[in-house]
Amino acid sequence: MNLDTREENGVVIFELNGEVDLETSPQLRQALLEQVNADKPVVVGMAGVAYIDSSGIASLVESYQTARRNKTGFALADISDSAIRVLQLARLDKVFTIHDTIDAAVTELST
Amino acid sequence: MKMQHDESKSTGELPVSLSDQVNLLASMAAEFANTLDVDETLLKALHHITDFLKAEGGAVFLLDEATQIISCVACYGATEITGLKLENGQGVVGACVTNNQGALVRDVRNDANFYAAVDDQTGFVTRSILCAPLSVKDGCVGAIELVNKQNPDDLFNETDLKVLETLAASAALAVINARMAKALVEQERVKRELELAAEIQRRFLPDDSTAEDAKLPISGINKAARGVSGDFFDYFRLPDGRIYFGLGDVSGKGINASLLMSKTASLFRCLGKTVRDPGRLLGMINAELCETAAHGMFVTMVAGIYDPRPGCEGLIRLSNAGHEPVLLFREGEFQTFKADGPPLGIVPPFEGEDGSYEEVRIFPKQGALYIYTDGLTEGYTETGDTLEDEGVKNILTSMKNNTLKEQLAELVRTVTQADRPLRDDVTVLALTDSQRSNDEVGLKPAETETYGSEESDGDWLIDFKFPAQPSWMKLARACVRQACVKVGCEEAETNDVVLALDEACQNVIRHAYGGPSEDEIELTVRSRPGRLVFRLRDFAAPVDPSKIKPRDLDDVRPGGLGTHLIQEVMDEVQYLRPSQGEGNLLRLVKNIKLK
Repeated sequence: MNLDTREENGVVIFELNGEVDLETSPQLRQALLEQVNADKPVVVGMAGVAYIDSSGIASLVESYQTARRNKTGFALADISDSAIRVLQLARLDKVFTIHDTIDAAVTELST
Repeated sequence: MKMQHDESKSTGELPVSLSDQVNLLASMAAEFANTLDVDETLLKALHHITDFLKAEGGAVFLLDEATQIISCVACYGATEITGLKLENGQGVVGACVTNNQGALVRDVRNDANFYAAVDDQTGFVTRSILCAPLSVKDGCVGAIELVNKQNPDDLFNETDLKVLETLAASAALAVINARMAKALVEQERVKRELELAAEIQRRFLPDDSTAEDAKLPISGINKAARGVSGDFFDYFRLPDGRIYFGLGDVSGKGINASLLMSKTASLFRCLGKTVRDPGRLLGMINAELCETAAHGMFVTMVAGIYDPRPGCEGLIRLSNAGHEPVLLFREGEFQTFKADGPPLGIVPPFEGEDGSYEEVRIFPKQGALYIYTDGLTEGYTETGDTLEDEGVKNILTSMKNNTLKEQLAELVRTVTQADRPLRDDVTVLALTDSQRSNDEVGLKPAETETYGSEESDGDWLIDFKFPAQPSWMKLARACVRQACVKVGCEEAETNDVVLALDEACQNVIRHAYGGPSEDEIELTVRSRPGRLVFRLRDFAAPVDPSKIKPRDLDDVRPGGLGTHLIQEVMDEVQYLRPSQGEGNLLRLVKNIKLK
């Protein structure tokens, strides 16, 4: 798993790549929670996610819920086929805010 | 102390006749010789003696070697003083025992040794005393004392003393005989207990006369130099079909060594059922022995796991804690594997470390592995020389076509000489890889009973075992992916199956093992046209399947998704109990589209 971070217009953008599994998801969870707990709007770009399991999904769910409590934005963007399949299996594809592109998500969150 | 012998002869009574004396002596001697109940015999003898010498009363005193206290053990006539205790040297009796010499006190009023306290207590009036020591070869075990002639006018004389001394001598022999007999009985008892202990120890060893053990490609012999052994060997089959084996040698011989052996053997068998890494197992036994073993005692030990299962190439994982080198004999060549670590019970693990021993990996390639104690190499052969490693190799070379059992019997026979005892306990353990079907020549893998039910699941595709740790998930996924690709699954289907198996493994880590663990997860994949069957097995305590039910998806929260994903992807999900051994078994079936 690889996680790149940058900030645009006050929105923190994570680009998530590779395999997110039981071994790597704790790292994702920590990085996301750090930002949402700092009340930063967060976009997770998932185009490069080759594999994600329930522990990875759980990290996303926890961050999404924390963001909602903190009333900051949290969105997923540009999700790979294999990742969207897992979100569908988990019936979470309708729960998250999902954008086609990172830019669209940033525009939405920075306004 | 000076003896008080009255010089004057007794008056009135005729001296006892010689023939009467001889008769009494003969009958008493015979009685003493035939009894083991010395107290009863002493009492009986005392009656005879007291009556024969016409005394008012008599008593037998015995000296306790340890406390130097003289106690009255039998008493007749006059006054009852059984249980009376005297210090050695106290009174006429005490002086008699201390000096191992008879005493004739015609009139106690003139004797400095007379101990008046007894008379004061009992009200008895002592006039005259005759006392003879119970003399044995190198000392005195007590004394016989007679008081007062029945006729108040009479006093004891020298002849009386002679008679009493002679009788006392045979009484002393009886006392000694009885004591020796008691010691013998005690010795017998200890010997019997040792035999029982040895019997219990033998039961620790695997019994290859049982059908189950006889089928294993492993054999061992333990021959104790004395009754109990300081060596042991053991082996048992793990639920997954692998064979755990171990051999140990406790420093020293005798009871203390055998007790430590029993402890080590128990630890091996008990821990071995869950700790499936020989190096880690030895580390744990070492820590335990360091904590509790008697200082200065240690155990050299070899532990290993042999994997005869298909696809595992007979891999032997071996760990050696200060033991003799292990021999691998293959195609006429020997290879030795020396100890990697110190004996067990000497060096405790560093704080915070588990102290695991190194492991070597051996691919036996149809060869055989031999482990033995130095009792074998240092044992004497017929010529009087020690056998040494060379001798062991020579025997194995000349018997390479014999069975393991025959080879081991010959090794032990060579160092067992009829005319001298074994120098040390001798223990040998051997394992052959020759019974394993060779995968490379395309033989069908032998199925064990354990996996009989799997046969119906279809053709064997993959066996994969890995520690229950997150870092192994990637490899587990790769295995499952490969199996799917092999049977022609589409990519999307493959991805789903891989996800489901990953989730199932995570459930094992979380729910069965309660977190990442060194313990293993065993994955087998089988296929038949139109479906893939996965079996996921762990070795943890049984888990109640109802505790892993999928959560309600409308309740959005992290966690609890895994089981739902498995059920979403798989066509059949069954929580089973393994047919053998501990653990949980999950059977997953995926129907696949036929192209």
